Amino acid sequence: MRVVIGEDEVLLRRGLELVLGGGGFDVVDAVGDARALEESVAAHRPDLVVTDIRMPPTFTDEGLVAAARIRAQFTGTAVVVLSQHVQRRYAVELLSDRAGGVGYLLKQRIADVDTFLEDLREVATGGTAIDPDIVAMMVARARLSDVAVGRLTARQQEVLALVAEGRSNASIAARLFLTEKAVVQHTSRIYDALSLPVNSDAHRRVLAVLHYLNQE
Amino acid sequence: MARTDSSTEAVRGRAHTTLRSPGPGHSPLRRSFDRALLAILVSGLLFAVLLVALLPLDGPASGVLVLFPINLVVYLLAGLLAWYNRPSNRMGALILLAGGAVFLGGAGNTEIPLFVIIGTIGASLPLAVLVHLLLAFPTGELRGSLERFTVGAGYVTAVFLQMPSYMLSADGPAPTLIITDAPGLAEAGTAVQSAVGGAVLLLTAGLLAIRLGQATGLERRVLVPLYGYGIVAMAVLLFSTRLVRTLLDWGPEAVGILQLSAFLGVPVAFALAVLRGGVARTGELEELGAWLGAAGDEKPAIASALARTLGDPSIEVWFWVHGRSTFVDVDGVDISDARSGERRGLEVVELDGRLIGAISYDEALMPDPELARTASRVVAIALDRERLTAELRSSRHALQLSRERLVEAADQERRRIAQDMHDGLQVKLVLLALEAQQMAGATGLGSGDQVAIRATALRRGIDDAAAELRGLVHSVMPAALIQRGLSAAAEDLVDRMPIPTTLHLGVVDGECSPVVESVAYFIVAEALTNAVKYSEAQRIRVSLVRREASLHIEVSDDGRGGARTPGGSGLLGMSERIDVLGGTLVVDSEHGQGTHIKVEVPCG
Repeated sequence: MRVVIGEDEVLLRRGLELVLGGGGFDVVDAVGDARALEESVAAHRPDLVVTDIRMPPTFTDEGLVAAARIRAQFTGTAVVVLSQHVQRRYAVELLSDRAGGVGYLLKQRIADVDTFLEDLREVATGGTAIDPDIVAMMVARARLSDVAVGRLTARQQEVLALVAEGRSNASIAARLFLTEKAVVQHTSRIYDALSLPVNSDAHRRVLAVLHYLNQE
Repeated sequence: MARTDSSTEAVRGRAHTTLRSPGPGHSPLRRSFDRALLAILVSGLLFAVLLVALLPLDGPASGVLVLFPINLVVYLLAGLLAWYNRPSNRMGALILLAGGAVFLGGAGNTEIPLFVIIGTIGASLPLAVLVHLLLAFPTGELRGSLERFTVGAGYVTAVFLQMPSYMLSADGPAPTLIITDAPGLAEAGTAVQSAVGGAVLLLTAGLLAIRLGQATGLERRVLVPLYGYGIVAMAVLLFSTRLVRTLLDWGPEAVGILQLSAFLGVPVAFALAVLRGGVARTGELEELGAWLGAAGDEKPAIASALARTLGDPSIEVWFWVHGRSTFVDVDGVDISDARSGERRGLEVVELDGRLIGAISYDEALMPDPELARTASRVVAIALDRERLTAELRSSRHALQLSRERLVEAADQERRRIAQDMHDGLQVKLVLLALEAQQMAGATGLGSGDQVAIRATALRRGIDDAAAELRGLVHSVMPAALIQRGLSAAAEDLVDRMPIPTTLHLGVVDGECSPVVESVAYFIVAEALTNAVKYSEAQRIRVSLVRREASLHIEVSDDGRGGARTPGGSGLLGMSERIDVLGGTLVVDSEHGQGTHIKVEVPCG
C-alpha cells in the first residue's frame, strides 16, 4: 500500500515514515508543505495520503485544503488529515462530498501505533476514521439537545460513537467484547430510536450518523 | 510621564481663568466699535469744554451753570461705559442722547445767539429723554405701542408744547424766535405743557407700576430704586419751577441746582442698573457669541460667561453623561434632584439632536425661557467642546490605568500558564520518566508481557500529558481562531459546552481584524466559562453579529444572575480588552434574571 506523507516537522515526518514502514506501508514520498504534497500525489498516485493540517507557508489549514483537492482530483487516493486539535467543522467539511477514503485524527493518536495503523488501513480501503474526540463531543452535544440521543442506553451511546468513528461491526464487537450479532442488534435499535434508515453500507452508515449528530 | 502630568495641570489651570470682558483686540468689528466710542468721548469732552468756555460762570447764577458741563461729562462717561460693556444694549446710546439734551440746556444759558436759540427750543428735552430712558430699560428698546406712544407724547410735550413759552412772550429768552407778544397765550401754553407733561408723567408712572407688578422679587430689587429715582427726577424737573418756588420760596438758582442735581443722578443710576445685571437682556446674546469666538486659551468657563450675559449669577452648566444617563456639574459631581429644586429653570442643550447638557437658571431672574433657549443654542457647540475636553481628560486618565491593568493582566496570564505547566505537566512528566527508569531497571527480571503492559501504561500516561499540553495551548490561543477565524473558533467553543448552548452567527470570518476576532473569542470563552462555573443555567445563547461597522457580541443565560462587574477578575479582563478596542461592555445580571453580557466593538 503506497503512501505519501505531508508533515513539516522533520522529527514527526521521520517518525511517521518509521511507523508506517513498520506497519507494512510503502512510503513513496514524505514532503514538508502542501504544495509539494499535491505535486507528489500527482506524480506518485498513492493509495493513501497522511498529512498534517497546519503547514507552511501560512501555517493555518493548508493540509485540509490540499486534502479536499486531492480527494476531488484523485478518487483512488484516500486521505488522512492529522491535527493538534480536532473540531466538528473540519470533519463536516472533509465528509461533505462523500464518505469513505477519509480520516481526521488527532496527531496524538500516532502514539497508539496499532490503532493508528488499523485506522489508516480502514481509510485506505475506502473506510472512514473520525477521531473519537470529535465524535465524543458530538454525541455529548446531541445528548444535550436531542431527546432521542439522550434516551439511548450507555451501551447504545458507545456503539453510536464507534459507528460515527467509522468502525465496522467487527471492530465494534472486538472493542466492546460483544458478538457481531449483538452489535447489529444495538445498531438497529439505535436506528429505530433516531429514525435513521437501516443501511448496510458502512460508509453511508457513518455519513448518516454523523449527519444526524451534526444537525442543530 | 512628568510631561503628561504637567500638561494636564495646564489644562486644568486654564479652566479656572477668570472672566475677561470682551475687551479690545478681539475682532475687527469690535475694534472699530471701540474707535467710534472713543470719537464720541473726545467730541463729548470738547462740547463740555465749549460749555465751560461759553457759559458766564463768573456771573450771578454760576452755581447752576457749572452743573451743565458736569452733567454733560457724567452723562458722557456713564453712557459710554454702559455702551462699551454692553455693545448690543441700546441703553448706553440713550444715556448719551440724554447727555445731548443736557448740552442743549447748557447752550441755552450761553450768550451765543445760535446756541441760545437751539437751547431754548430743546429746553424741556431732558424730561422726554428721561421718560424714554425709564420705559426703554432694560433692553434700550420700547416694547409695546402704549410705551411708544408715551415716549412720543413726551417728546411732543418737550418740543412742540414748549413753543408758546418762547414764541408768544416778548421777554422770551431768544428774541429771534418771538413772533408776537401775547403773554396770556404764552401763560396758557405753558399751563397746557405742564398738564400734558403731568399726564405723560402719570402714564409713565403707571406703566412702570405695571412692570413692577409683573417683575419678580430679584428684579424688583433693581427696578424699584431705579424707577423711583426716575419718577422723582421727572417730578422735580416738571414741577419744581412752580411748586418749590411758590411753596418753599426758593430762588430760581436754588431750584435750578435742585433740578440739575436730580438730573445728574439719572445716568449713574441707569448705567449701574445696566452693568449690574439682575434683569435679563436679550441683546447680549451677541456678546456671548463674541465670547465664543474668542481665542480658546483665554476663554473663561461657560457658566461665568452665561451668568454675565444673562444677568443670573446663579447659572449652572451641567453636562450629560451618556454612559450613566445623568447630568454632572463642571466638577463631575452628579446632579441630585434637590439641586434642580423649585424656582430653578432647566434648559436642555442639544447638538445635532444629541443631548449634551443643560443650563440651570433662576426662573425669577429669567422669566422668559426663550432667552435661556436661545442661549443654549448659542453655547451648544462650546458646551460640547467643554464636555469633550472633560471626557478626553478623563479618558486619558482611564487609558493610563487601563494600560497598567493590561500589563498586569498579561503578567497574570503568564503566571497562570507557568503555574499550570508546573503543577500539571511537569509533575506528570517527572512521574512518567520515573516509570520509564523503573522499567529499564526491571528489564530481564519480569516477563515480556509485564513489560508490554507497563510500557502501554507509560504510553497512556504520555498521551494524557500530551492532551493536557494540547488543552493548555488551546486555551492560550485556539487553533481554529488562527486557522479560520472567530466563527469557527466560537463554534468549537460552543460544541464543547456541557450546557445546551445555541450559537447565532452573523459575522463572516476575516470581516473583523484578527485582534477584534481574538478579543471577541476570549470574551465569549470567558462568559461561557463563568456561565458554566456559576450560573446554574439551563440554556445559554451566544450571538455574534456584525452590524454597522460594529461587532455585537451577546452571551445570555437563564441562570441565577448576580454576576459582579467589574469585581470579577474575568469580567474585568474582558472590559480591559474591550476598552483597548474602543468598544463597550454592558453586563446585566440581576439576581434570578440570568446574566446578559452585551459587547460592542468596532469592526470596520
